[in-house]
Amino acid sequence: MKVVLVKRVKPLPLGGLVIPGASIVIGVLISTVVLYVISRADPLVTLSCVASALVSPEIVLTFLFLTILGAALLVAFNGSIWNIGAEGQLWLGTAAATYIALFTALPQAPAIAKVAMVLTAMALGGTWAAVAGVLRAYLSIDEVPVTLIMNYIAYYIINYLVRGPWLGKKTWGYIRTDMIPDQVKFTLLPGSTTVTYEVLIIAVLALIAVYFMLKYTSLGLRIRILGSNPDALKAAGVNVRALIITALTLSGAIAGAMGATQLAGYLHRISYPIESHTANYGYTAILVAWLSMLDIRAVPVAAYIVSALYQAGISMQIAGISSASATYVFIGAVLLTFTVLRVFSEYSLRIIRG
Amino acid sequence: MDAASYVLSVAPAFMAYYLTSLGQGFFEKSGVLNLSIDGVFVLGIAVAYAASIYSCSPWVGLAAAVLTAVIFGILLTYVTTKFPVSHGAVGLSIMFLGYGLAGLVGVAARNTYNEMVVSGIYPQFTLPVTPIAKVLMFAIPAGLGILLYLLEVRTKLGAAVRAVGEDPHAATSLGIDVLRVRLIAAALGYSLIGAGSAGFLTWVATWSEGTGINHGWIAYAVSLAAGRHPLLTVGTAGAFAILATYMYTLQAAYNLSPEIAKMIPFIVAIGAMVTFMSTPLRKKLAPPQSLGKRFFKEERTV
Repeated sequence: MKVVLVKRVKPLPLGGLVIPGASIVIGVLISTVVLYVISRADPLVTLSCVASALVSPEIVLTFLFLTILGAALLVAFNGSIWNIGAEGQLWLGTAAATYIALFTALPQAPAIAKVAMVLTAMALGGTWAAVAGVLRAYLSIDEVPVTLIMNYIAYYIINYLVRGPWLGKKTWGYIRTDMIPDQVKFTLLPGSTTVTYEVLIIAVLALIAVYFMLKYTSLGLRIRILGSNPDALKAAGVNVRALIITALTLSGAIAGAMGATQLAGYLHRISYPIESHTANYGYTAILVAWLSMLDIRAVPVAAYIVSALYQAGISMQIAGISSASATYVFIGAVLLTFTVLRVFSEYSLRIIRG
Repeated sequence: MDAASYVLSVAPAFMAYYLTSLGQGFFEKSGVLNLSIDGVFVLGIAVAYAASIYSCSPWVGLAAAVLTAVIFGILLTYVTTKFPVSHGAVGLSIMFLGYGLAGLVGVAARNTYNEMVVSGIYPQFTLPVTPIAKVLMFAIPAGLGILLYLLEVRTKLGAAVRAVGEDPHAATSLGIDVLRVRLIAAALGYSLIGAGSAGFLTWVATWSEGTGINHGWIAYAVSLAAGRHPLLTVGTAGAFAILATYMYTLQAAYNLSPEIAKMIPFIVAIGAMVTFMSTPLRKKLAPPQSLGKRFFKEERTV
């Protein structure tokens, strides 16, 4: 008797709903068992932390950040360009916005300054991603290690700035920049202490722009063909090199915009060192992009679930049930289950006798 | 300090980076892209710490770290070779799991340690600080590196590992069992990664949540910068170990910012990748042709 993996004639019906759904349930159950075995966390408490996170207002900001980053990653991922560098791109966006807010005269005109913060953040994030694009396009160097390594270069560049030229004057001994001026801080939504109008607008714009770009423009069509059949593109005379660079640049630019919203809406300053202060949204967003199965309409759903898991880990830590690590266990278990289960949307298992 | 002790101080960092990047490079030669490295490295450290406390023996810690790393290596290899899945996605999920499990295991062990101290039991550990131990920390990893190099270029197994990394389909038609060869490469490679992570504790000698995070990526950069060549890796591991050990001394003596010192391994790694792909070095040091590519035919037994 053999177990054989056979390609389906048609993808699994409703696979786009069933498979992510099943992965989340199985992943959370695995995490619950792991947390019980190693940390003696009561399974009922773990599950109730997850359940209450699903309706917690605390997750809105994380949800919006992950939505923007998910949209950013989808631009590249749809072309089979694996941008693992959103983390560095978004932090450079934060740095660019900090520069505008603290070291130029623009904050005198707050409206212009806010726009400039987002635009420079997009420019820097895009440029940073474009470096990996150029290396991939002209030297066929795999973008995965390059984008990943560039995250760390970005961290240390910003650390250098924050410890050196950007070190604040009123920091009470902490190593961090000064607070950005009040007039360039983004405007909080009524009743919220973290969510701003601007981050909401940028999230909606990013979703709509990426949706239209991928679905209705020739650039979007080319990116999608780049993901499925790059040889056809070359045969059709498309400049594949320019296409790769464009896709990565757009991806990095949107990630950079998220970095600006993170600064002006929430952090208001950069603290040293980045690697201990980052929420790792750039890496977590990879899970969002995967769970969406590269369909932009599913990005908000995926972002909602991932932000709830993220929050569940934090509330378990606050309740003293587990350390900061529970979040990672949730994310790792769901992502691993999903990566494997996803195979079954296009393949099925058959048992053959004899 | 005299010259010899300056050199010897680098030994723990060298051992940790070299063993880890050696294992990483050898494993990736078999064609599986390994992004789990940082997570497994962090988990290895936590497991080594925990097992040392529970057993009162650092050697048990070493064995436990090696075993844990190998289990995750085999999981990664099996899933990526048997199923048409993205190597990057599996690797990153194992990275997240590694970070998470490391925290859970390490915190549990630290609580046990604190309880032991409260009840008057002080677990005794002697970390190797003698010059001879430090010489061995250079010699044993370097010896393992030479052995692995010979294995890679002189034996049938080595040829098979390189073959499945370059073109697994061609290798299959020559009668090589791709899964078996990759699993062997994973067992060997991840043993070294596990040993490297345990070795990291001889450098920092303490554990708190997040210990070792990012150092796995430095080992990744060490391996990339040397084009995954076991002998060249001695050079990059040595250079980056010196940078890491003397970061603050360099700052005092040459005004080199620690941030720049931390950045150098990553910049060198990208520079090396560019060099290897754009010069004749490509023949020897370019990544395996099938690195990270899905290995799948239309139908197969699981």
